Amino acid sequence: MAGMSSSFPGTVTSSAPCVAAAAGSRHSLPQGAPRLHCKASFGDLHATFEGMRQSNNVDKIGKLADKPNLASSPPVAYQQRIGRKAVRQAVVMTRALASGGESKNILIMGGTRFIGLFLARQLVAAGHQVTLFTRGKAPVTKQLPGESDEEFSVYSSKVKHIQGDRQDFDGLKEKLTGTGFQIVYDINGREGKEVEPILDALPGLEQYIFCSSAGVYLKSDQLPHLEVDAVDPKSRHKGKLDTETLLQSKGVPWTSIRPVYIYGPLNYNPVEEWFFQRLEAGRPIPVPAPGLQITQLGHVKDLANAFVKVLANEKAYGQVYNISGSKYVTFDGIAKACAKAGGFATPEIVHYNPKDFDFGKKKAFPLRDQHFFTSIAKAETELDWAPEFSLVDGLTDSYNLDFGRGTFRKEADFSTDDMILEKLGTKTVVAA
Amino acid sequence: MALSQSLASLVLIPCSSSPSSSSSSSSLAVAASGQTFRLFLRSGSSSSSSCCSQFCTPHLSLFSSFLTEQHQRNGLRSVKRRAAGAVWNNVVVRAAAAAVHGQGESKKKVLIVNTNSGGHAIIGFWFAKDLRAAGHAVTILTVGDESSDKMKKPPFSRFSELRDLGVETVWGEPADIGVLGLSSFDVVLDNNGKTLEVVKPVADWAKASGAKQFLFISSAGIYKSTDEPPHVEGDEVKGDAGHKIVEDYLAGLGFESWASFRPQYMTGSGNNKDCEEWFFDRIVRGRPVPIPGSGLQVTNISHVSDLSSMLTLAVEKPAAANGSIFNAVSDRAVTFDGLVRLCAKAAGKEAEIVHYDPKAAGVDAKKSFPFRNMHFYAEPRAASTKLGWESKTNLQEDLKARYEEYIAIGRDKKDIKFELDDKILESLLTPVSV
Repeated sequence: MAGMSSSFPGTVTSSAPCVAAAAGSRHSLPQGAPRLHCKASFGDLHATFEGMRQSNNVDKIGKLADKPNLASSPPVAYQQRIGRKAVRQAVVMTRALASGGESKNILIMGGTRFIGLFLARQLVAAGHQVTLFTRGKAPVTKQLPGESDEEFSVYSSKVKHIQGDRQDFDGLKEKLTGTGFQIVYDINGREGKEVEPILDALPGLEQYIFCSSAGVYLKSDQLPHLEVDAVDPKSRHKGKLDTETLLQSKGVPWTSIRPVYIYGPLNYNPVEEWFFQRLEAGRPIPVPAPGLQITQLGHVKDLANAFVKVLANEKAYGQVYNISGSKYVTFDGIAKACAKAGGFATPEIVHYNPKDFDFGKKKAFPLRDQHFFTSIAKAETELDWAPEFSLVDGLTDSYNLDFGRGTFRKEADFSTDDMILEKLGTKTVVAA
Repeated sequence: MALSQSLASLVLIPCSSSPSSSSSSSSLAVAASGQTFRLFLRSGSSSSSSCCSQFCTPHLSLFSSFLTEQHQRNGLRSVKRRAAGAVWNNVVVRAAAAAVHGQGESKKKVLIVNTNSGGHAIIGFWFAKDLRAAGHAVTILTVGDESSDKMKKPPFSRFSELRDLGVETVWGEPADIGVLGLSSFDVVLDNNGKTLEVVKPVADWAKASGAKQFLFISSAGIYKSTDEPPHVEGDEVKGDAGHKIVEDYLAGLGFESWASFRPQYMTGSGNNKDCEEWFFDRIVRGRPVPIPGSGLQVTNISHVSDLSSMLTLAVEKPAAANGSIFNAVSDRAVTFDGLVRLCAKAAGKEAEIVHYDPKAAGVDAKKSFPFRNMHFYAEPRAASTKLGWESKTNLQEDLKARYEEYIAIGRDKKDIKFELDDKILESLLTPVSV
């Protein structure tokens, strides 16, 4: 544990999900886990939470608090959860180093936008040599919210970069030839043919780990989606499917991860952002009727964890895993969870029939209007992985580190909201 | 000698007389070199049960070669040779049988206290059969009188099937369970009570008469509704729910092992209550199927064999099952609209779905539709992680079989009045003024 700083990106986060109580010891901290002193300053967060939650027991940071029965007790003090989360992270890191032993020479296709940001850091912290392949549009390294100066400095000194455009297949192959990467994490691949130059350049590759999507599943009346279910060759994610098929045909050990909706700080996809913007503006939240469509959100840090779990893991060779949150959620439920996460009052939710409107090219709602969720049981059983974040805790993390700080990726656009509210005769709330 | 040493872990206890039979272990007697060894295959805890499975198969060959070695080395006289040979065969047969019937666990005496009506009645029927297939002894106590009219309906009308399998079928009141002349049991399942008042006499008697394991059929209906489905074991339940009060009482009674199973809607042959039949009734007559709300509501329609396999696993792994709540459902859920489609496919017909608002139509949704008008969705996560249980059912296939039976009993010809359906359809024709 020496030198293991607890304020790894994600220190200022919460811990075990609500199902911890049910699953018993699987989610609880191991006995005798070391105490850590969290370095992050909680001053500003402290203020944010004043009066909103139970007493913040600052003196409990780093101590193992009694694990509450999360299923039925009031919200746990935020600092208590931070302490346990930090300890859990430390344990994860130790295990990563201890198990599977050797440090790997890893290439990440991507790594500067969202998933890769967190994955790269976890891999570097676990002692691997990590190189990012990007066009260089975004800075190669950028300090994450919640990441200490020290951590960021260690990370940026260790991570390497190859600049290039992966769509330039010849160039890509040339740049990778002779590099000797043992593992490739393909985080931003879209089409099967994009994989070929990489495989050609790296004949000694030990594992190709691909970020696919649960969008490949064929829509079904029976849910949840399991990895064995039928896939849809006509889906918008056809390219992801083609990539999986291609990898299978190539003989290289490969693993594919299928996330559902990913969320978390720095999310560039307007999932939680869409809800937070309406909550911030004090606006009603228009949800396609009936609002009980069930979907699933997965925190980006849990996803990064899963990616680390499959590294050099023979059990994972040739396997596909659904990775997302432990519980599913209705559309109405997401609105309520975002409100809880940001400390807003219960939102006004307005249901409408999308068929009654012509929104043109605009999306009136960020999620597909259907049930869409997967079982993560295979990953939990085979990879010894489990999501750390419950939905509210994860959205709180996202809010505190990103959207609640006033940062957004897209400017708020309420034009479709206004169309809906006008037609339904609901008084439009004027944004403050 | 080396072989006997390696077999020592199988607990070879030399003895000259047959030991008193312990209900929690099976034993094999072997005569060799003038000494009788009684081989105890320990059972009762999951860890030793799994150990037994490892002992049984690889060591069986060692054991038989041990006998042969002893046999040759000591020059057994012909009488002992015959005895050894005969008993050796016995060892082979019984060990093989033990291996087949669940890796060496002991056989249990199980009592099922079964309700005489309703959606859960079918559980006892299938569970009894599964237990018999696994070699356990079963008594099923049905509430009430054998002569009651309720016994003319399935599954009770088919109890001869149980008796043919060696199940003892008796009738009586659970409140009188102590005086019904029942022997003691290793395992008692209460598939009857919804309140403490009804279950307490059964539980108390089971404890007093030495039952080691108590199982209870509860209900997933006690979960509090949530924005984050599915219902998972450990989620909040309604505090005043009768089933919950029973569960808490059982937890405090001190059984070696107790568990509660929370089912939802079940399908299967011998069902006492309609499930998919409601859909077939309309589809087969070419009537529209009225579905309240959007039809996106998700629920579990589980084939009862998934429940009985889960219960049987709990009986065979009492330590693993101890102290646990289990959602007794299969691993897939279905939407209301989806269920119509699956039933239509099973029937080989088209179905027309019509959505309606029960309030606007002036009907009580509880009467106009067989399932709760909301998401009612649970997952069997505890069974999977604690018992290693897996669903073996396929709803589409099961509905096909159910449809065949539906036709075979002539229910498609039955004259059914669709009063509520007609009222609903009427209301949809009337334009609603805004």
